[in-house]
Amino acid sequence: MRSRDSVPAANMAAEELPSDFDIVILGTGLAESVVAAACSRVGQRVLHLDRRSHYAANWASFTFNGLLTWIEEQKEESKPEKIEDWSSLVEEGEELIHLSNSDPASITNLQVFSYTSEEEEADEPNTIEEEKAAGEDAVKESSETESAGSKEEEDAGPAEEEEPAETEEEEPEADQPPTSPPSNQSEPVRKKISHAQLVKEGRRFNIDLVSKLLFSRGSLVDLLIKSNVSRYAEFKNVTRILTYRHGNIEQVPCSRADVFASRQLSVVEKRKLMRFLTSCMEETEEQTAYSGRPYSEFLRDQQLGESLQHFLLHSIAMVTEDTPTEEGLASTRHFLRCLGRYGNTPFLFPVYGLGEIPQCFCRMSAVFGGIYCLRHSVHCLIVDKDTNRCKAVIDSRGQRISCSHVVLEDSYLDADRKRTATPPRYLSRAVLITDASVLPSDPDQQISMVTVPPTTTGGPSVKMVELSSSTMTCIPGTYLVHLTCQSVGSAHEDLLPVVTRIFRTTEPQEEDRRPSVLWCLYFNMADGSALEVEGHRVPSNVYVCSGPDGALGHEHTIRQAESIFQKILPEEEFCPPAPNPEDIIYDGDNASPGEDRAAVENGGNQEENQEKEGNQEENQEKEGNQEENQEENQEKEGNQENQEKKGDQEENGVNQEPEE
Amino acid sequence: MAIRELKVCLLGDTGVGKSSIVCRFVQDHFDHNISPTIGASFLTKTVPCGNELHKFLIWDTAGQERFHSLAPMYYRGSAAAVIVYDITKLDSFQTLKKWVKELKEHGPEDIVVAIAGNKNDLGDIREVPMKEAKEFAESIAAIFIETSARNAVNVEELFQKISKQIPPLQNAEVESNDSFKLTRQPNPTTRRCC
Ligand SMILES: Nc1nc2c(ncn2[C@@H]2O[C@H](COP(=O)(O)OP(=O)(O)OP(=O)(O)O)[C@@H](O)[C@H]2O)c(=O)[nH]1
Ligand SMILES: [Mg+2]
Repeated sequence: MRSRDSVPAANMAAEELPSDFDIVILGTGLAESVVAAACSRVGQRVLHLDRRSHYAANWASFTFNGLLTWIEEQKEESKPEKIEDWSSLVEEGEELIHLSNSDPASITNLQVFSYTSEEEEADEPNTIEEEKAAGEDAVKESSETESAGSKEEEDAGPAEEEEPAETEEEEPEADQPPTSPPSNQSEPVRKKISHAQLVKEGRRFNIDLVSKLLFSRGSLVDLLIKSNVSRYAEFKNVTRILTYRHGNIEQVPCSRADVFASRQLSVVEKRKLMRFLTSCMEETEEQTAYSGRPYSEFLRDQQLGESLQHFLLHSIAMVTEDTPTEEGLASTRHFLRCLGRYGNTPFLFPVYGLGEIPQCFCRMSAVFGGIYCLRHSVHCLIVDKDTNRCKAVIDSRGQRISCSHVVLEDSYLDADRKRTATPPRYLSRAVLITDASVLPSDPDQQISMVTVPPTTTGGPSVKMVELSSSTMTCIPGTYLVHLTCQSVGSAHEDLLPVVTRIFRTTEPQEEDRRPSVLWCLYFNMADGSALEVEGHRVPSNVYVCSGPDGALGHEHTIRQAESIFQKILPEEEFCPPAPNPEDIIYDGDNASPGEDRAAVENGGNQEENQEKEGNQEENQEKEGNQEENQEENQEKEGNQENQEKKGDQEENGVNQEPEE
Repeated sequence: MAIRELKVCLLGDTGVGKSSIVCRFVQDHFDHNISPTIGASFLTKTVPCGNELHKFLIWDTAGQERFHSLAPMYYRGSAAAVIVYDITKLDSFQTLKKWVKELKEHGPEDIVVAIAGNKNDLGDIREVPMKEAKEFAESIAAIFIETSARNAVNVEELFQKISKQIPPLQNAEVESNDSFKLTRQPNPTTRRCC
């Protein structure tokens, strides 16, 4: 069996699933996982399934070897689905909706390039290129009209030349015999890393399929904190914002301290920037006058100068030339509000990668009784013809499982049942393993958000995140670089021009200080925001979740999950805090799950808990417990003070809190 | 004394007594009809060790292993793993080897592994000889101990043994690691992540 990112099923006796649930959830992507946690938390009986062998669907992260396996799986022809006859399980007045059990459409145009040497002597770049024919058409067709301007892309010049020649399909690297790393001759500083080393240390990589960041005051951070799911994950601050301008990578000053420390800004510019950042926090008549007109025009008329305009438009508001002023200002304010909560940039990144986040919500669901089963799917929904409600599902083992609601990832629905934007929208993704940072610095463990404005007029603007090994997503001596943009053409067409400008894919030349690409992957992913909220051809108690969208934050997904939860359980609170471990009460010998749950639900309320504990004879940890609680209350008070302080700072526009 | 948080994850077949062991250790309590611990993300207990205090954050599988669907995040940052089998069930000892392999693949590289043969109060229906289990543990350099959550035998000792095997904290590690948990406080305290 291949190495997978979950526990192998080997030999452990398979248990039967219970046959009655309140909610059946298909797919373990972020939205589905949040819904699962929210429903279990308020006492619903949740069955959460995924047909894949890993958690988090298209939000997953993989070890290097896990990613190679995933790539192979994407390339496999999807077998025609065997339609089984479940009619014996269907009763009078019921009909079946067959679900799709493969996902051919969401990942397309997969291409892999490896620039590390397989063997010591070989210094030819070793290229493996794979295309997924069916999917490729989908994107190319839709992009033909839009990419009429592709001639301009030829200015992207070096791109074409440096692209390594295609070779015939080769065996995936995973099975290659290990070779010793080549000795470093040409470059004394950077250690050369061989493919064998990437494979050997593969488990220390956590390579995300999506690339997003958490806004420190965004809805995902709020939800993690509110629900206490935050206990399961650790985060790092994104340490700097960079941008690509005039052929160079530059640091964008965004906090007060950055602005003052900046060497590239003149004193006049510093003053202008500070004044602008302070003034834009409040709505002014001048701003309103620009409403409906591009933010870039508004910025131009502020007499800021070219660099500041670039920083403000591309790196702080992160919008395009023609985004309206009110939207640009809203993004700018959001950015500024997020500064200083945890660090000097507005962003956070989870240690071990974004793939942890859906798993954390799944854990919360499991802790509250949710039942988890990977490599397990649902073949059909059983629908009551009269009420148009789904009353049960039939799983891949032919078991009928009744339920009151079904939540599913959109890929489980046949195309003719879901409503999506036309033409379909895709994201272009590239994942690079490199040997140096795009902007080397001391210390070298930076986490950088890099904005790359369109390299051609009308081309996509690219978001790039560079992760160092401190994020536990790559091995020391390497960087993991994620590029994302809205697709115009295939991922390779869209992103190669940026990759070849910022990185080098050929043997090092004198003077060329750009980081080398060791390995890279291109693919397109369906854009989750293209899925319509309403209008799918499904029973009224079936709710559809989309995959990842192209935005940097997670607002789309969290909003979707909350709205699905509210449709299922309009009376219930969304993700109330789970009790602290110290507050959990083991009931006495006559404990029933019901009582257990009641105790847990009051868990947020510490006073009540303490009273209950007082009634318990057996609790010996009481004293320790109360101490802990007191400590926490004190923390909370301190917290309020801090928040007031922050409010003051926000009025000053740029808030800067010293980090401990 | 410095408090050090240590994540410990429990592994092993369903019914071997994982939850009972935690319950005995943390609350010194045993329940014949222990219900799956709903709502416990992890339980904590602090014990002194040398000139440090070890605060164990003990993670139970929350049932995710029942259908072989334990998420890799379960292992993240674990200082130790306790793999439990039931001395009266040969099967549960056989799957132990799978859990060891699983840990090697997905667990942290320097994780301390402890093997606990639970229910040793049921010696008369024993199926797993102690010698065999002990030899296996030695072969993988794991801690070995037989326990009874029911009679409070060797449960404290299990965690003491783990405590002793945890390497002392290097100062450099504390400083270089600036990852943090999100809390309601605005300024997270920096602490070691794994
Ligand atoms: N005789 C005896 N019974 C025990 C002991 N430890 C646990 N049990 C019993 O074994 C059964 C299972 O114990 P649990 O602690 O729920 O086992 P678990 O490993 O947590 O099981 P899952 O949560 O289903 O994975 C319960 O009925 C316990 O009372 C022990 O040391 N001796
Ligand atoms: Mg248990």
